[in-house]
Amino acid sequence: MNFPFKEKCSKRLMEQVHIAPLVVFRVVFGGMMLASIIRFWLNGWIEQLYINPTFFFTYYGFEWVKPLGEVGMYLLFFIMGIAALFVMIGLFYRLSSLLFFISFTYVELIDKSTYLNHYYFISIVAFLMILLPAGKYFSLDTFINPKKRITHIPRIFIFIIQLQLGMVYFFAGVAKLNPDWLFDAQPLRIWLQAHTDIPILGYFMDKVWVAYFFSWFGAFYDLTIPLFLSIKKTRTIAYVFVIVFHVLTRILFQIGMFPYIMILATLIFFSEGFHLKIISAIRKITDKFKKVMEQEVTINYQFRRSIVRVFVGFFILHFSIQLLLPFRYLFYPDQLFWTEQGYRFSWRVMLMEKAGKTFFYVTDNDTGRSGEAMVDNDLTVNQEKMMATQPDMIIQYAHYLKEKYQKLGIKNPKITVESYVSLNGKGSRLYINKYVDLTKVRDGFHHKWWLLPSEQK
Amino acid sequence: MRLRKNVIVFLLTGVIVFAISSCKKDKDEEVLPEDSFDKSGMLANIGDNLILPAYAKLKLSMDSLQLSNNLFTANPTLLTLTELQAKFTQAYINYQWCSTYEFGPAESEVVRANFNTFPCDTIQINSNISSGIYDLASAANIDAKGLPAIDFLLYRSNQDNNYILSLFTTSISASNAKNYLTALVNELKIKTDAVNTAWSSTGGNYINTFKSSTGSDVGGSIGMLVNQLNYDFELLKNAKIGIPLGKKTLGVALPEKVEAYYSTQSIALVLEHIKSIENIYLGRDIQNSDGLGLDDYLDHVGAQYGSGSLNNAIKNKLTTAKTKLIAIPGTLSQAVIANTTIVDNAYAELQQLVILLKVDMPSSLGVLITYVDSDGD
Repeated sequence: MNFPFKEKCSKRLMEQVHIAPLVVFRVVFGGMMLASIIRFWLNGWIEQLYINPTFFFTYYGFEWVKPLGEVGMYLLFFIMGIAALFVMIGLFYRLSSLLFFISFTYVELIDKSTYLNHYYFISIVAFLMILLPAGKYFSLDTFINPKKRITHIPRIFIFIIQLQLGMVYFFAGVAKLNPDWLFDAQPLRIWLQAHTDIPILGYFMDKVWVAYFFSWFGAFYDLTIPLFLSIKKTRTIAYVFVIVFHVLTRILFQIGMFPYIMILATLIFFSEGFHLKIISAIRKITDKFKKVMEQEVTINYQFRRSIVRVFVGFFILHFSIQLLLPFRYLFYPDQLFWTEQGYRFSWRVMLMEKAGKTFFYVTDNDTGRSGEAMVDNDLTVNQEKMMATQPDMIIQYAHYLKEKYQKLGIKNPKITVESYVSLNGKGSRLYINKYVDLTKVRDGFHHKWWLLPSEQK
Repeated sequence: MRLRKNVIVFLLTGVIVFAISSCKKDKDEEVLPEDSFDKSGMLANIGDNLILPAYAKLKLSMDSLQLSNNLFTANPTLLTLTELQAKFTQAYINYQWCSTYEFGPAESEVVRANFNTFPCDTIQINSNISSGIYDLASAANIDAKGLPAIDFLLYRSNQDNNYILSLFTTSISASNAKNYLTALVNELKIKTDAVNTAWSSTGGNYINTFKSSTGSDVGGSIGMLVNQLNYDFELLKNAKIGIPLGKKTLGVALPEKVEAYYSTQSIALVLEHIKSIENIYLGRDIQNSDGLGLDDYLDHVGAQYGSGSLNNAIKNKLTTAKTKLIAIPGTLSQAVIANTTIVDNAYAELQQLVILLKVDMPSSLGVLITYVDSDGD
């Protein structure tokens, strides 16, 4: 059972390389997470998104994930922040990285309406980081206990992060290969013209050719940047493009910390020499406190044979799922952008301009009386906006309304909706069959037959 | 050398992609003219020709309301009462033309809630009057003040001016009632002045801020204008028509929940309100001079609805909605019981307008409604 290709691959992946790129990634990741948490806190979003709302859109199968109340939420974010800080400085690394992953992912699972691909990305990376020996060099753990220190690791540990990053870009690029994006320059045409007020670039923002250029360039960039970053000769110039691309997205879109995270995260494609320079630059500052600079002795990471198997097995499984998940939409009829069945967890970022409005109606089946449901104070502006275009959330809210009306004494309520959605500026159209009693409809992974077709006369 | 070669390949590919994409644009140029839309011009028009005059008019009517109130409280007669009622009606009408602008100065003064939270709480009002002790700024009094509370004090349920006059003359709490009325009027007057000063170029100069910030995000003027226009329009639809009609109570009408229930001018006020919103949309001032507005912006971006333009769809719907509102016979509180179908028809038009204004318009203009991070729906 000897295949030359497989051997070549495994030899390359298991080859011992310097740990520096992984360690710098750990510092960057922990640092950016800490900054993100502080920003989130200062913006008042903990309160706005996780304390104030009375209703939360849980994920299918994760209904048990509940917000923890005011004290609980702030405590959770505090723990998350400390964990991120400890990841950055490499203190109790395994425990901190585990804590960060759990606290971050818990928060993300509370409410679907806050779903961002960026947060999903962070959850995945946080999970991978638990498994990687990123705290075994240039960390407080090894400063306290130098015996833990290693200098070289199998290349696969770095490759995992590179591959994950590469997939984010690549799938974001694949998602852009659709007619609206390529041949109508939508939704960029809508989004860019709203930015004629920014300095210098503003002049170009409502030119149609600019929207086409950005669309095609964006698709080309996403599809190819992992490759250009991997090839040594193109790396530097590719990185310049990384900076330009993400700075542009930062200026044009309300995209938060993500551009900065990506600009720094993609540094992992650079050589170990580059990362050693970064480390020694940081050391110059810390050496003021730490007088003795140890002589660097090569210490290889000892990969036990039994663990290798498990690790490689996991590695294959994880990336297979990652590879297939974005294509699950193919199992459903009609257009993905319309139905959103299989839309999340697929790196579809800044891809469509979708807006909607849903009116809920309640009918008392016992008396036949009907009217609009009282929805005004249940949902936040953001929740209402997200729900209006995502059918699984409309179902969840309809079920909540059923319970609400049952508590008000209407034993047998029927909930129907009049829902309109506009996609990429094509004009609002009816979204859901307005005769279907949504209390009778179950949420799940099956086709949502009660959605109206995307092509209507 | 090889690095340079790769750079050239990379850039060339980009240029080729760009060239391909440029070929595609021919047909779109007809839809989207290359000239930029004059956003500053639109905001200048709306700011200078709509917002400032609307606030100036509100200030004038508040000044005369205060004056009439002083005359009335000094000398309560049927004559001064009638005069005060007339000034009040005018002030309520003029308020409709300011209701949308709940950003900047009006947001700081919380104008909408302070001026027009209805229905008013008559029990709270009566208890405030009889005790003579109240803090109008407290949240507990939010529905015991503003225009709806004055509406109650000056009209009452039976609209009998002799009876109303007696409450300010012979009633044991007449003096307290006069003080309360004065306190309500003065609060409106002070807040109106504050908003006027803050907008004025000789005062807080918010007009300059408004005109110069052309962004479509939550803090930009276009974003604020569109979002508040929508918020205000939904308020019109729900609070002024829907709730009295029983839309939120399984069809059980609530006639006492209409705006201006006691003076029974609900329909007139709704009409003023929708005309104000129409004018903002069209960029049309009170003299019917039509400048740059959201209609022009929508046409500029080529926004479509069905087989026609979104702008035409909105304009037509606004006209139909007005016609159906005018068709409501009698007072609104009577109509929600006696002529449900006619009110229902008007409501249905307003509902359709919400879709066009809240879904289609922002979605065509790229207006953002929240400031939380997003990665695009």
